[in-house]
Amino acid sequence: MLRATGLVKSYRSRSGAPIRVLAGVDLTVKGGDLVVVTGPSGSGKSTLLNVLGLLEDDDGGEIWFEDARVSSLGRAAKSRVRGRYVGFLFQSFLLLPSLTALENVLLAARYVGRSGAPARRRAMELLEEVGVTDRVDHFPAQLSGGEQQRVAFCRAVLNDPPLLLADEPTGNLDDANGAVILGALRGRARAGAAVVVVSHRPEAATGASALYRLRGGVLETS
Amino acid sequence: MKSLRILRGYLFTIVGIAIGVAGLVALGAMSERIVRFIEGGDRFVLGQISVAGRGMGMGTGFTAGGMLPAATIRAIAEVPGVSGVQGQVMLPLDPSTSQFMTLTQELILGVDLSVPSPNRHYRTLPLRAGRFFREGDRRVAVIGASFATSRGLDVGSHLALDDESFEVVGILERMLTAPDRFVMVPIADARAQWVAKDRLLRTVLASGAVPLTAADLNTGAAVGWQDGEDPDQVALRIRERVPGVNVQLPSELSRLLRSSTAFFSALLAGIGVLAFVIGGLSLANTMAAAVFERIRDFGVKRALGATDLQLGREVLAESLAVTLVGGLAGIGLALGLGWGIDATVARAQQLFHFSPRLLGGALGFSILLGAAAAAYATARVISVSPAEAIRRGA
Repeated sequence: MLRATGLVKSYRSRSGAPIRVLAGVDLTVKGGDLVVVTGPSGSGKSTLLNVLGLLEDDDGGEIWFEDARVSSLGRAAKSRVRGRYVGFLFQSFLLLPSLTALENVLLAARYVGRSGAPARRRAMELLEEVGVTDRVDHFPAQLSGGEQQRVAFCRAVLNDPPLLLADEPTGNLDDANGAVILGALRGRARAGAAVVVVSHRPEAATGASALYRLRGGVLETS
Repeated sequence: MKSLRILRGYLFTIVGIAIGVAGLVALGAMSERIVRFIEGGDRFVLGQISVAGRGMGMGTGFTAGGMLPAATIRAIAEVPGVSGVQGQVMLPLDPSTSQFMTLTQELILGVDLSVPSPNRHYRTLPLRAGRFFREGDRRVAVIGASFATSRGLDVGSHLALDDESFEVVGILERMLTAPDRFVMVPIADARAQWVAKDRLLRTVLASGAVPLTAADLNTGAAVGWQDGEDPDQVALRIRERVPGVNVQLPSELSRLLRSSTAFFSALLAGIGVLAFVIGGLSLANTMAAAVFERIRDFGVKRALGATDLQLGREVLAESLAVTLVGGLAGIGLALGLGWGIDATVARAQQLFHFSPRLLGGALGFSILLGAAAAAYATARVISVSPAEAIRRGA
């Protein structure tokens, strides 16, 4: 599903000197795989996920979704690819505060032209699966961290994306809620999605099909 | 419901825009008010040739000068190109010096109804209530709107002018120019007022040294011209052929009026520009800030697949709704403020004039500027990657 070769990414420091974060990352994730990437803070795990998910441009290398080279697409095309092929789960949930839980989930459908009753039905099914049906009309500020991340998970999978990228999805959760989210991610992998999780938690590696450590800008097999 | 919620999320933005628009509209309304005053005067002087007797006298306003006897009025009527001459008596209501120094002097205007109004722009004056006086009426008055308000007068009320009681038979519509402070009476009554106010005139009349009749007591005359005639040429002809008169060329009087109000015009232009800049900057800044502070939301939406075009459309729709609501609230605020000040502080005077042109212009301006500011801010926000937008908004 996902193939990345020779990914390079640098940032400029305040002094203008380049800081190389990714120095030639190669990664292949097939449908049904759950890949876990670990590494110390600042090692570039989030950058890797952002580049893989087309949230950030790379400085070199290639990214392929299926048989399409997506790293060279234009802005609009990348947006469309993100909407159809990628689901994101962030550490800080990133729910829109002005929308209810249900509206946040449905937001994923809006930009891919998949709104209306079917999307709403699917959103309700997902919210039921993660146990927040009674909170659909609540705003993010009225939800606990665990509930927010469950809503964010529903948003990430509403369009059934073949690729799911999770950046420290349990970083702000207690153990119980963290276990729920990790379980849900494993479930998506079992259902055939390619899942990449960046996490500090050792338990994230449970059931992983591959475990990598990002060090010095390259992925090492753990 | 959801739209209302979105607007509620923009509450502070709407309040900010409303304050900017209110400032713009209020200052604009003050400008409009003075512009209407100047334009009204200009329109009046361009509608007639104003003639007064040479020298000085009690007369004031457009017919300031010496006495204009009946024989002179007849001579003016004989000048080729003249279509009609209406003798007038225009007096200060209060002849104290303090009243002469105001721009909004209250005047008594005696009108000779035996001659139709020669003023091409004011054949009749619009009435808000009651009727105009008729030929042969005595001790009746038609009063201007500001005058009526300042004294709490209505149709049927009585008004004392130099110990003479006048019944108010009509009230003019508010014209935002000089007639708002006029007391219009039949010319015979105005002549009696003149005699009552002018001790020297009483002495002269009592002495019998000068053979004067009531018809000679005119402070000036409004002169009309025939169709196809150049009013300035007709005025010059009167000046040449009729001795002992002060003739104002309409264009010259208009120029004088405009030059005498040039300071106010410049002041108004300054106020207008300031209102535009301050109100516009406030609005644009508020709208742009509202977009910038949602940078994280934009990043999230782009992560979910929103294209630049989709986001642009969303922001445009929201900014239009927000500026429309903010603009309407600002206009409402300015209207309330203006009416409140006019009703309490200014009383008889109207300091604000909220014309449809001003209100429509301010609303259109705020919507366009709000949309432009939102478009600019959106362009800036989407110029960074979704990941960067999320980072910056965290």
